[in-house]
Amino acid sequence: MVRIAALVCLLLLGSISTGSAAAIVGKQAPSIELRDSNGKAVRLDEFKGKFVVLEWVNFQCPFVGKHYGSGNMQKLQKAYTKKGVVWLSICSSAQGKQGHVNGREANELLKEKDAAPSRFLLDSAGSVGKAYGAKTTPHMFVIDPKGTVVYNGAIDDTPSTDKADIATAKNYLVAALDAAMSGKKVETAVTQPYGCSVKY
Amino acid sequence: MAGLLVAAIAVPGRGSSTGASRNVRVELVSEQAAVQPGRPFHVGIHMKMRAGWHTYWKNPGDAGLPLRIKWSLPGGFVAGPIEWPAPERIPAGPVMSYGYTREVLLPVEITPPGRIAADSITIAGTFDWLECSEVCLPGSAALDVTLPVRPEPSAPGPAASLFAEARSRMPRTPTGWSFSAEAGPRAISLAIRVPAGFSARRAYLFLDQPLVADFGAPQGFERAQGGYRLTMAPAPNAPRPPERLTGVLVFDERAGMKPRTALRVDVPVSPGDPAPAPAPSERRALPRVVYVALFAFLGLGPVMVMRFVRRFHRE
Repeated sequence: MVRIAALVCLLLLGSISTGSAAAIVGKQAPSIELRDSNGKAVRLDEFKGKFVVLEWVNFQCPFVGKHYGSGNMQKLQKAYTKKGVVWLSICSSAQGKQGHVNGREANELLKEKDAAPSRFLLDSAGSVGKAYGAKTTPHMFVIDPKGTVVYNGAIDDTPSTDKADIATAKNYLVAALDAAMSGKKVETAVTQPYGCSVKY
Repeated sequence: MAGLLVAAIAVPGRGSSTGASRNVRVELVSEQAAVQPGRPFHVGIHMKMRAGWHTYWKNPGDAGLPLRIKWSLPGGFVAGPIEWPAPERIPAGPVMSYGYTREVLLPVEITPPGRIAADSITIAGTFDWLECSEVCLPGSAALDVTLPVRPEPSAPGPAASLFAEARSRMPRTPTGWSFSAEAGPRAISLAIRVPAGFSARRAYLFLDQPLVADFGAPQGFERAQGGYRLTMAPAPNAPRPPERLTGVLVFDERAGMKPRTALRVDVPVSPGDPAPAPAPSERRALPRVVYVALFAFLGLGPVMVMRFVRRFHRE
């Protein structure tokens, strides 16, 4: 009987399916509890009252390379953190997968690239990435001071790895932040993100 | 980055040129041996992927990027859109990509002008793609194909069989079929009326639209009045219900190894609340030897196994 039960379990194993979670625009942002690159615990709750940008990152992905190699991402990080926005870069690459970094490696890369996120969060278990439905690097989210998701999607409207496209692209993140921070409705609140798959 | 972009190598004395990135070999080929003024013909980029690597369909799914072409054509020549064969599903954890493994030919129709002064013409272009396995790399090649100009209809060129094979994988506009679609909070449902005698174990709808369905969620499939019903989980972030469903519906037919039936779908969606259909098991078949070993371990002969299966069906 045990053997038959074992057989049935084995046959059923393959048919388990998982629904996917996501950060939904207009709803409360999923909670975040992670360590940052300096080993400090970070919770999303700490930033209530401020706008928060989440940026999914994998420094070995050519789409991320487009936005860092051109200085575009660093420029946005500096411009918006100066205005009081909290910018959280998150790496969900699993151990042994492309882009995985420990805290020291992350700090070295940030320094080398002159990047300026408020914090760099390590999510090698992928739990926060999956809770947000982060699919690509980059994949951008904006959370308002009440903790509501107001943008989920691509950094801009030109899916490519070509730095030359940045100049002519419409930057969705900028449009969302500028609208939300001046109390206006975000016109384009959901877009299809583009990039490498997140290496869960 | 420049190191990854390997320039195309022109092969003298041959009509077409080849190129390569780290993991994909590419060649621009022509279906015909020559060009006849005013008569459209096809060229195509033939991509051969290293094992474990893939390139993307026009809708790459959750991640990735389709091929981009910048043509350099002789005066008066016009290139049509890329004609995309039905793709494959390439899942990686919760991220679903749509693309091609092994090899693919992506044809493009070229329309020459009614009068061509030259004896031969060269179709050239720059091809940019993204190739991925566990990691992604951009690939690029400048390719060309040179063809003689002839007043009479051309004979097929050496690559003609590639085009025939690609056409067998192209989605066709269905005759004898009809579709209707309904979308609600729980599911997006496609009702499929099939021609008499058609039977399928499962189907998959490759939507070419973003932000409609959750690409990574399993699709439901069940028998229904006049055929089948396929359901998809709505994209969690869909800003509004879809007005149309557009894409390619691919069947895995009972008959086994026949080429897959791939149909073009473009259907308006009415609001409703369809229920999700059960998802057919995506379980991969274990190697036969594993089953034999398992049954031997269980002390079950073939007769016992059949009895076991029958009993389960009765219950």
